[in-house]
Amino acid sequence: MDSVLRAGAMYLALMVLFKIAGRRSLAELTTFDFILLLMIGEATQQALLGDDFSLTNSIIVIVTLVAIDVGLSLLKQRSGWFSRLIDGEPTIIVENGNLLRERVRHARLSEADVMEAARSSQGIENIKEIKFAILERNGKISIIAKED
Amino acid sequence: MNDDRDHPELRSRSYPIREDMSYQLKVWRFERVGWYVLVFVVVLGLVGLFSRGLISSRDVRSDDGKIRLEYEMFHRNGSTNSMKVSVDATPDTAVELELAGQLLEGFSIETLQPEPIRSRSSSQGIKLWLQTDLNGRATLYITLRGDGVGLFRSQIASPGTNGVKLEQFIFP
Repeated sequence: MDSVLRAGAMYLALMVLFKIAGRRSLAELTTFDFILLLMIGEATQQALLGDDFSLTNSIIVIVTLVAIDVGLSLLKQRSGWFSRLIDGEPTIIVENGNLLRERVRHARLSEADVMEAARSSQGIENIKEIKFAILERNGKISIIAKED
Repeated sequence: MNDDRDHPELRSRSYPIREDMSYQLKVWRFERVGWYVLVFVVVLGLVGLFSRGLISSRDVRSDDGKIRLEYEMFHRNGSTNSMKVSVDATPDTAVELELAGQLLEGFSIETLQPEPIRSRSSSQGIKLWLQTDLNGRATLYITLRGDGVGLFRSQIASPGTNGVKLEQFIFP
């Protein structure tokens, strides 16, 4: 019983934590972000398994995690409200070449982040060439260039 | 936040995506409040709310001063902490010490040093007999591992002295 509860509690705790961290936190993985992720995984492992390293326990934990994940995706499919709660919504951050600074500030981004995405995805040099930049639900910035 | 909603940049757009900025503002506010909560938890961890720190470590004496107890008030399930019990009694004799209450329900005793001369179960817990030194002092070092979850009330007593009451909380 406790294995299932452990896995459920850990899933919930991590989900709330990463909601607090925001969608950008681990979207663009730097080397250090990757190490941070490994450290979080390492800290989680003990709490998930306790002092029971049996095959049965690890399978119960994995089954619980996958079941919660599939269950949530089914719920998201049925309810738009729930989907929005879990995944959030995309946000426009550049509109017709203008950076929407208030939005960028709230999303803890900077103009440099937007330009980085513009350069790497569209080869854009100037923010004026961007028609729309959208901060997607997964934290990536998608760029729509102006047509000239 | 009302100012935010009136800001022209924060009004909802409908092209190329349909936005709900009042919802998005709530999400950003949640992130901001969440950040304060995280910092608060870190501070609580530093001061010892989750074991081993300023507010967790206790050093208490019985009313007559004969029993001194150093222990951690907050424990975590599965982790070990030490406890030190000192008793003042007649020099070079065996002194009786009783660990009673919920101590043995919430914790398992990993080590007990020095080994008591004798030990016996009692109606409320266990009784141990320790050899006092030439100054009449006997000290017992106990390593406790938290097995339960929740609040556990116990007392440590010795005949002829006022016992010491302790409350310990074990986090999951």
